[in-house]
Formats: sequence, C-alpha cells, structure tokens
Amino acid sequence: MTLNPTPQPLTFPALTFAKLAPSSFLSAHLSNPSGPIRPSGRTATQTRTPTCNTGSLTHANGSAVVRCGDTAAVCGVRGEILKMGDIADYEARELDGGDDDGDDEEEEEEEVVVGEEMMEERRRKRRREDTDEMARLNLLVPNLELATGCSPAHLPGGPPSVLAQTLTQRVVTLLHTSDLIGMEPLRIWFRPAAEFSSATPGAMRMGGDMEEMEAREGEEEEIAKAEVKAFWVLYIDVLFISLDGNAFDAAWLAILAALKDTMLPRAWWDADREMVLCSDEPSEARGLDIRGVPVPLSFGVFEGDGQGKGERGMEKGMEKWVLVDVDGFEEGLCREEGTVVVGERGRLVKIEKNGGAGVGMREMRGLVGLAAKRREEWMAVLGMS
Amino acid sequence: MADTTLLPLHRADGSATYSKNGYSVVAAVNGPIEVQRRDELPEEAAVDVVLRPAAGVGGLRERHLESVVQHTLRHVILVSAHPRTLIQCTLQIVTGPEDDSVTCSLPQAASDLPVLPALLQASILALLSTSIPLSMTLTAAFVAVNSKDTLVLDPSVQQIKRASSIHLLAFSSRGDLLVVESEGDFTIDKWEEVHQKAKLICHGEEGDESESEDVSMKSDDISKLENVLKDAVERQIAKEQRWNQTIG
Repeated sequence: MTLNPTPQPLTFPALTFAKLAPSSFLSAHLSNPSGPIRPSGRTATQTRTPTCNTGSLTHANGSAVVRCGDTAAVCGVRGEILKMGDIADYEARELDGGDDDGDDEEEEEEEVVVGEEMMEERRRKRRREDTDEMARLNLLVPNLELATGCSPAHLPGGPPSVLAQTLTQRVVTLLHTSDLIGMEPLRIWFRPAAEFSSATPGAMRMGGDMEEMEAREGEEEEIAKAEVKAFWVLYIDVLFISLDGNAFDAAWLAILAALKDTMLPRAWWDADREMVLCSDEPSEARGLDIRGVPVPLSFGVFEGDGQGKGERGMEKGMEKWVLVDVDGFEEGLCREEGTVVVGERGRLVKIEKNGGAGVGMREMRGLVGLAAKRREEWMAVLGMS
Repeated sequence: MADTTLLPLHRADGSATYSKNGYSVVAAVNGPIEVQRRDELPEEAAVDVVLRPAAGVGGLRERHLESVVQHTLRHVILVSAHPRTLIQCTLQIVTGPEDDSVTCSLPQAASDLPVLPALLQASILALLSTSIPLSMTLTAAFVAVNSKDTLVLDPSVQQIKRASSIHLLAFSSRGDLLVVESEGDFTIDKWEEVHQKAKLICHGEEGDESESEDVSMKSDDISKLENVLKDAVERQIAKEQRWNQTIG
C-alpha cells in the first residue's frame, strides 16, 4: 500500500480569503468589470431594506424593534415627570417666561397688520425657544448600549465603548438640531378653572391645539393663570442586539419608530395634593408631536488595498468607492465615514464626514439624492407616507 | 486674527497653542512612543487623541470631538511610517468665547462645532512642531448661514444662536475636503456655496492644479488660513536659527 498524497490545490474558499486579506477581497469585488458588487451582493449605492416592529415592549411608553440586514436594535421610550420645583434655576426661567409672554402679546397686535410673514417668523422664533428650553432642561435623554455579544468586537463588562458614547452624542445633537419633537405635548399644565368649569377636561386637553390653549389662557387670565408645572422627560434607550455596521442609521430609525409609537398619559397638576396626576384612561393618552422626520444615510469610502501593487500604487488616489449603508466587514476597511441627514422637501439637516478626502462636493450631492430616496423608503416603513 | 505659538511646552515632543474666535487651545504631541499591547497596530502607528474641556471632566461631547480629530489625524499623519508605535495628541481647551453665559451651563445637546476648528488647527501645528511625517496639512473654516441666507465667517456665540445653519469644513493642503460637520436647516446648493467660500478661506484662490503651489507661494497677501500655518512655522524657524544669524 502506498501513500498517495492528494496534492492540495492552493485555493481558498471565499470566506478564508476575506479573513486573510480583507482589503484585497473587497477590492476584488468592487473592481468587478460589470460594475462594483459588494460581498453582500449589493451595489455600491444600495441600502439594506429595513424592517420595523413597533410596540413590542409593554412597559415602555413607546418602543420599536428595527432590523437592517444583520444590524438589529431595540428602542424603548419612557416618559418620566420632571417637576418645576426640582429644576435648579426654576425662578430665573419663570421670569424669562413672563417676558416672553409680554413680547408675544405685542407681536400679536402687530400681526393683524403684517400678516402671514410675521406669523411664520413668530412661529420659527417660538420653535427655536422651545428647542432651547428642551436642550437646557435635558428633556430628551437618549442612551445607546451595545449589548454583550452584539458583535465580537464588543467585550462584556467594560464601560461604554467610545463608539457607544460617540453614537449617543450624535443622536443627542441630531434630536435637537433637527427639532424633531414638539415641546407642547411635553408640558404638564396647571389650569385652575378648567378643572371645575369644564365637564370633560380630558376632551378639552386632547384637542388642545396651541391656538386653542392660548385663547383659553387669555380667557382665564383674570381668574388664575394657567402655568406649566412639570415636564415630561423622555428617556430614549437603544439596545443593539446585533451589530453589523451602520449603527447610527439603525439606531435613528428605531428612535423615530419608537417616538412615533409613544403615547403619554394625560397628566395634570393637582393643586390640592400638590402633585402631578396621570390619567389611566388609555383613550386620553396622546402621542408626541413628531415633525420633519429627518432620515440619515451613512456612507463609507473604501480606497482600495493599494498594497504591494507597484505602479498601481500611483493610481491609489483614483481608486475609491463610496459605499452607502456599510456592513460590519466593510466598516472595518473604510477609513472615511460620514452621514448626510435629509429632512422635509429635500432640505438638509446635517452633513458630517471625516477620516479622508474621498467625498468632495460632487459626491456629496449624489449622496444627498440617495438620502432623499431613502427617506421615502423609510416613511413607508414607518407608516407615515 | 488667529494667534499661534509653537512649542510653548518644553516637556512634550511638540506643542502648539492656537487661539481664534474666542477659543484658545493648547495641543501637545508625544510620539512616536511605545504603545500598549492592546492598542498596538502591526502595520501602522496608533493615533490617540485626548481632549480636556476648559472646565470639568470630559463627557460624551469630548468623546465625539476626540473621535473626529482622531479620524482626521489618522489620515493626515503618515501612520505607516511608524508601525507598532503610538502618537498621542493631548488637547486642552484653555478658554471659550467671552460671551460664555450661554455655553457655560452647557446643556449636553449644545453644539460642539465652534471649538472644532481650533482643535484641528492646534493639533496640526503641534504635529508640525513634533516633526512627525505628515502626508498633508489641513486648515479648517467655520461658517454660519444666518436667516437672511448670508454667510458669516467665524460667527460669534450670538450669531451661532441665531444662525439657521452652521458649517465646519476642513481642507487638506491639496484642496481636498477632509472634514465636514454641518448642522441646521439648509439646502445642498447653499452647502456648495459654503463649501466654495470655505475653500477660498482655507486654501486661497482656485488655481490650476499644476500652478496652485506657485500661486499660493506668491499670494501671501490673501489672508487665507494656510498662511497662518506657514507664518507660525516660519517664525519658529527664524527663532531657532537666530543664533546662527547673529554669529554669521
């Protein structure tokens, strides 16, 4: 019997190749003559289709589970009450409020003459003040957590990783700069007259538009002034179950869906008991005022492997691919990353990118177009189209 | 407008201060130094950025700024020239703008952009003073668009508060766009306008690719940011060569 060693051909399965030389692996895929195809089978400008499931957490005021490819995130929104008395600079703020009212009244008189432009200007000013107030009081508290085992790179037991902290910071800034959540539903009012005079205070408040409230405020001014006694603070927690690249987009979609799902119970200030009471009537609960729906599109720039290629090194600068919605494998190879956020009517809310020189003015315009397209897709997923 | 000093710290390998628009930042660079096993990269130098705020300890905002600066420096430094080492850049914000009443009690959500140009410029100057091989230098411009759609360069705190959008753009010495942080409410057309304006500020006149270097050498009168870098380095060299000239 003779040993008959079968000669091993020097070929690897694709997965081994990807592990040994990830950069060349991706480069080989992208320099496909019939157009760049990524290892996942997507084209360079193709995003992963998201799926979204809302209301799955029973103990949260709103929740959503979102999945984009192998990135899956759960978001829970919980409302808690922040009483005026617990705010350190309470008195200073009260004074501010009084001044503002004075301004508003003056403007109201002018408004009759000047008309719509003034209205618009005033609305914008109020929104800005609301956003400032929201930021100052920290009424939105997002937190991102990369769960143990969501990806091999995240070890259990440590403090929040730099990635988690950076993501949280980006979410906070986007929540505020995009002016996503209206302030009005977060205010808990004290209306002395309403409690007695109106037979159905719940109904009144539920239909309570800004204008209506103002009108009512005016009426009641002689009797007793309606005032804000507390705020809802929204704790927005995002937990990544699985992370395969593009954490920011998934987190943001989960947050959008959860906020849209959020119902806050009707709450009012009870003067006798000096505390905030909440109605447990589900029909009286109301949703948040979500406006704009900014949709992000994250991208990465892969600059080719450029190693050991001799003359090809020369054209390394030319060799670059802008990949949108990168997955975990590609994320490890993209030095340059960024996000564009598109809001209503194709207006931009945010552009950020760093780490390279691959995306200039021309590429950015293309990415904004893609983001606008993605917004439509997301609106359908969120059931808002 | 911008105030720079090279090598204000004597114990660090390289250091620089950069003051502009009310912000003052000290940067110190140490490197290449030995790297912890955990952070070691087999084919390139690890870049570590540490940011300290003017008051208190760092939080989420500082982590985010650190990561922006870190990603940028990783691209600017020729990291492959020093494999398995560490280049550490420590940034200390010394002062904020005068009108700090707003930013003093900083809510977590307050914008972190205004300080970023100073951080980037200070770190680049510190790297230059350390003589770490760089593939390029960078300059950063900060522009606000106010509600009347006009561009304001280096806006004050109040102008930022009233602005409809604020933009930070950093360009490499070759004129490539390196860093963008834009936020607010704007259109892509407006952003392109901001881009062109910022490029002009950072990089001077748009010239032919081949001629651009000669042009930038001559056009010293244009107060572009690149010249601030050049000035700082020139002054330092003159200072270091003073002994030579007096003897000669």
